[in-house]
Amino acid sequence: MPAWALKAGAAAATIVFAVLAAHHVTGHVKTSGAPLHPSVLQITAGVRTADVQPVTSTYAS
Amino acid sequence: MPAERLSFPALGSPCHLFVRHGPAGRMLEGRAWVEAMHRRLTRFDPSSELSRLNADRGIWVEVSAELEALLHACLRAYELSGGLVNAGVLESMLAIGYTRPLAAGPTAAVLEAARPLPPLPEVLELRPGRARVSGGGIDLGGVAKGWLADRLCERIGGECLVNLGGDLFARGRWPVGLGRKTVLLEDMGAATSSTRARRWGDQHHLVDPRTGLPSRGDISEMSVVARNGFEAEVAAKTALLLGRERAPAWLAASCLAWSFS
Repeated sequence: MPAWALKAGAAAATIVFAVLAAHHVTGHVKTSGAPLHPSVLQITAGVRTADVQPVTSTYAS
Repeated sequence: MPAERLSFPALGSPCHLFVRHGPAGRMLEGRAWVEAMHRRLTRFDPSSELSRLNADRGIWVEVSAELEALLHACLRAYELSGGLVNAGVLESMLAIGYTRPLAAGPTAAVLEAARPLPPLPEVLELRPGRARVSGGGIDLGGVAKGWLADRLCERIGGECLVNLGGDLFARGRWPVGLGRKTVLLEDMGAATSSTRARRWGDQHHLVDPRTGLPSRGDISEMSVVARNGFEAEVAAKTALLLGRERAPAWLAASCLAWSFS
C-alpha cells in the first residue's frame, strides 16, 4: 500500500473519531446538580418496610 | 379505615395532618395551634415572642411555657449533636442574606460578618419562666418543626400523623416515604435536612456552626427515622454536617433508619 494512502486513512480516521466524540459529548452534558456519590439507604431491624403507597413522606422544605 | 387529611401552609412550609380512628375536628384545632405557634416563634415578625426575646439581648425576659420548652429542646439538641445543631445561629443567617422569608427573596450576603458560633449555653440561659439571650440571637428553624409535630400528635390523640414541612411524627402505624422506600412508622418520627432546599445562588440555609457559613459537606440531603420528630430532625442535621465518613456510625448509635445522597 502506498504511503500516501496510509496517511490519508489515518487523517480520515482522526477526523471521523473527532466528529463522533464531539457528538457524544454534546449529547451527554454533565448534570451539575447530580450527586457525586451513590445514595445510601439503611433500615435497622426496628423499622419494617412495606410495599404500599405512603400517605406522606419526609422531605426537605 | 381511610385517613382524614388536612393540608395548609405554615412555618414557611407545606404542612399535612392525618387522623384515623379519631375526631377529624381535632385537625382544625391542630391547624389553629400550628398557626399560633408560627406567629409566636417566627423571627421574621418583630412582634413575635421570639423576636422580642432576641431584641432584649442580655436581659432576662418572661417567656411562655411553649417557648421555654422549645428553648430547653434547643439546649438538648445542642447536647445530642455535640454542638452541631446550634440555635444561636441568627447572626449567621442574617450574614448569608436570609433576613426575610425566601418568598420575598434573599438580601445581599455579607459573608465576612459570619463567624464560628459560640457554644449555645453561652448564648442562651434559662430559668423557670424566663430566658436570656446574650451575644448572637436564636433561630428555631433547626428544631421547631419536629418538636411541634411531636407535641401536636399528643394534642390530637388517637392514630394521627403530623407532617410539618417534612419533619413528622406518626402516632399509630403509618406508611411513610423514606428515600425511594416506604417504611412503616409506629410511634416514630422522621425528618429530612438538605442543602438543596432554601437555596439561592451559592448559598443555602443550612449553616455549619463550626464556620458560621453554609455547609460545604459531601452530603446534600439526609433523611432519618428516630424515636420522635425532634430527635429525627436533630439527627438529620447532625449527620449531614458530619459527612459520609462519620455519619453512618453516629446514626447507627441513635437512629432507626436513614437515607442520604
